[in-house]
Amino acid sequence: MPEEPAYSSAEEPQLVEWAKLGDMQAFEELVARYRDRIYVRAYSIMRNETLAVDLSQNAWVKAWQRLEQFHGEASFPTWLSRIVTNLCLDELRRQKRARTDSIEAMEETTGPVENRMEVETIDPVEGLSRGELRERIDAALAKLSDKHRTVIVLYEFEQLEYREIAEKMGTSIGTVMSRLFYARKRLASLLKETLKRDGLIE
Amino acid sequence: MNENETELKVQSLVDGELTGREAEELRARLESDAGLRTLHARLTVMRGLMTGAELPRTLPESGDFHWSQISKAIEREERQAKHLARPASSANWLLRWVVPLAGVACLVLVLTMKQTAPPNLDILLGSDHELELSVDDLDVMTFNTGDDAMSIVWLDYAIDLQQDSLQLWLD
Repeated sequence: MPEEPAYSSAEEPQLVEWAKLGDMQAFEELVARYRDRIYVRAYSIMRNETLAVDLSQNAWVKAWQRLEQFHGEASFPTWLSRIVTNLCLDELRRQKRARTDSIEAMEETTGPVENRMEVETIDPVEGLSRGELRERIDAALAKLSDKHRTVIVLYEFEQLEYREIAEKMGTSIGTVMSRLFYARKRLASLLKETLKRDGLIE
Repeated sequence: MNENETELKVQSLVDGELTGREAEELRARLESDAGLRTLHARLTVMRGLMTGAELPRTLPESGDFHWSQISKAIEREERQAKHLARPASSANWLLRWVVPLAGVACLVLVLTMKQTAPPNLDILLGSDHELELSVDDLDVMTFNTGDDAMSIVWLDYAIDLQQDSLQLWLD
């Protein structure tokens, strides 16, 4: 009887190749390695645990179905991350269609007056660990509208260019720039509030 | 260029999206504009804060359960794909081919009869509104009501009943 491959110690490209040949155990190992990462990306966009779990599961199913299309231009987790991001954007669009009255429209930056607001200065805070800062940034992100949070996640975490974000969000590069600028200002303001409240800055 | 556009350009510069001559021009402008320099510095700080700032999280369900859900979904979708791809069952085959062919045959038959019936068929008047057509293997009967402006065409194949089946009928 042939020896079973050592999945847990196999390199990622090898696992991908096995999975492409229909090896579900190799794919299971890939899921085990990246499930948290994919879930985190879905959660960052959706801010909803149940939806994030469902969408990350769907992303894995789609990944299995499209494995033939993966040729290693990007890393496997980056490719997966693109899939889950697209699913999240589809879900946000579906939710938007379902909403008759969007509060976001009121938050959208349209005029130069609002845009003249300055981006708050957040100096690196001494005594605050990277983890603590992350938690505060995460809390501030949760307060952004879907559109502003999405553009931040796509730019800062997914590391897409303006043009790619515009394509994914079905909007113009100008709108992406405007949303990103507003989102950063709002984020800086929220962050400053939090840090002040916690007594970490004056 | 208005103030808003300039701010967005500064952001593009910080994000590395502004290159070439435009970037050089803006950098030169930053030298002489303290306000834009401040904005550039603040945006740079924000970028620095956001780098790697995505909070790590753990999937809120067990890895085994997560995988079982994924593998079930994969199997379900593969079953559906196979079902769509496999040769049609006899019922599907009937629906896909026999029914449309029968429809086409009926249409051809009706059109043929329409063209040939008046001159070639023996037409018997059953009543004031009834026409009977006699063909060897096919009975065609039409019924017209002038009042309701309605025509009914009845096509009937001759059935050769055997003695035993006739007996069953009679029983």
